[in-house]
Amino acid sequence: MAKGKHPKSGSRKPGPSANAVAKTKAAKSDNAKSENQKKSGNAKSGKTRPPGPPARIFPVDTRFQQMARRTGGVPRDQAIERAQSALEAAKPAYEDFLEREVAGLTDLVRTVEAGNDEPGWIETVAFRSRQLRDSAGSLGYELVAFIAGSLCELLDSIESGSECNMESIVCHIDALMLARQKSYRRMRPEQVPELTRGLQRVVKHVTI
Amino acid sequence: MNLRDLVILVADPSSYISMLIHGMLRGFGSNKILEVRNSNGVLQTLMGQKIDIMICDMHLAPHGGLSLTRAIRGKTDNEHRTMPILIMSSDSREATIKRARDAGANMVIAKPISPSSLYDRLSWIAFNPRKFVDTETYFGPDRRFKIEGYPGGVGRRAGDKEVEIGAESGPALAQDDIDNLFSSVQTGQD
Repeated sequence: MAKGKHPKSGSRKPGPSANAVAKTKAAKSDNAKSENQKKSGNAKSGKTRPPGPPARIFPVDTRFQQMARRTGGVPRDQAIERAQSALEAAKPAYEDFLEREVAGLTDLVRTVEAGNDEPGWIETVAFRSRQLRDSAGSLGYELVAFIAGSLCELLDSIESGSECNMESIVCHIDALMLARQKSYRRMRPEQVPELTRGLQRVVKHVTI
Repeated sequence: MNLRDLVILVADPSSYISMLIHGMLRGFGSNKILEVRNSNGVLQTLMGQKIDIMICDMHLAPHGGLSLTRAIRGKTDNEHRTMPILIMSSDSREATIKRARDAGANMVIAKPISPSSLYDRLSWIAFNPRKFVDTETYFGPDRRFKIEGYPGGVGRRAGDKEVEIGAESGPALAQDDIDNLFSSVQTGQD
């Protein structure tokens, strides 16, 4: 842990600062008020909050900060380019992941829709849709990210007390099944306005 | 920024998201990256070894990233008390970002994460160390600070590479607004 420096022992000019003086005056004033209240038998006097210890503010230079500032690191442009290449390299495997995730979501929702008991299914659907939204967003699958994000919004509202409308969830799953297809998966939401507007209407209807 | 030999802990419930962040960090030159899936895993890891920075999801089960941050900051005999903590959140509403700031997070990064947004936030933490404040109700980085561009001219520039990110919807804040919110106390807007 970094060593803390108390303002009193720091390199500041000796003597109280303007803030410290103001605080001292305020504390004296509070004490005087408290005394007066006690004298007048005011019941509220017991509720007067005693002044707490002053805030301690101290510099911290962690190992992360010291080491990260060393010379010899990867320059920003190069670092970002390399990170971008890593994401590009992840894309082929992502498409398999996308297939699996959407298939898993579909199976789960269809099972629940058929009336089978699946404890914790909303949490599972929420986790998987968050994962899809965040990964698709980072990898540039914008339509998938949009639909998964809309589903997340819907599930958040259900968790906050809105009615659990299965049709609205199924509608999102169907949209995801469409978006995972090769011809759709690299599309932007604005390229399929009917779909995006439809989903927005569904979410608005359920969350009101 | 030199991330070599720094131990970075990525705490995210999704193995896939962790893998993507791992890939980005490797691209930045990091060679010691640990991953955990829940907050118990974080606590266990912190007990076992020295971590230099934690990148943590806000909804990390079971405690949540913010409770975890408060716990790390609040424990007085904890060697990781001042460890930089970068919170990842897809919920970028103002109230949520303020909660992260008040829990003691160094920065918040909006999900989905892009390489440039991650690099810039790490770089900001590295090159702009903030004083810590210890009061009865708060322990953490000084919440009164001002972002005056990213270090060494780093920031969004005309020549920056385009990153494909899905458009956000709903009452959320953009990453710039999140950064500004961290500085709003300074200007008395909190």
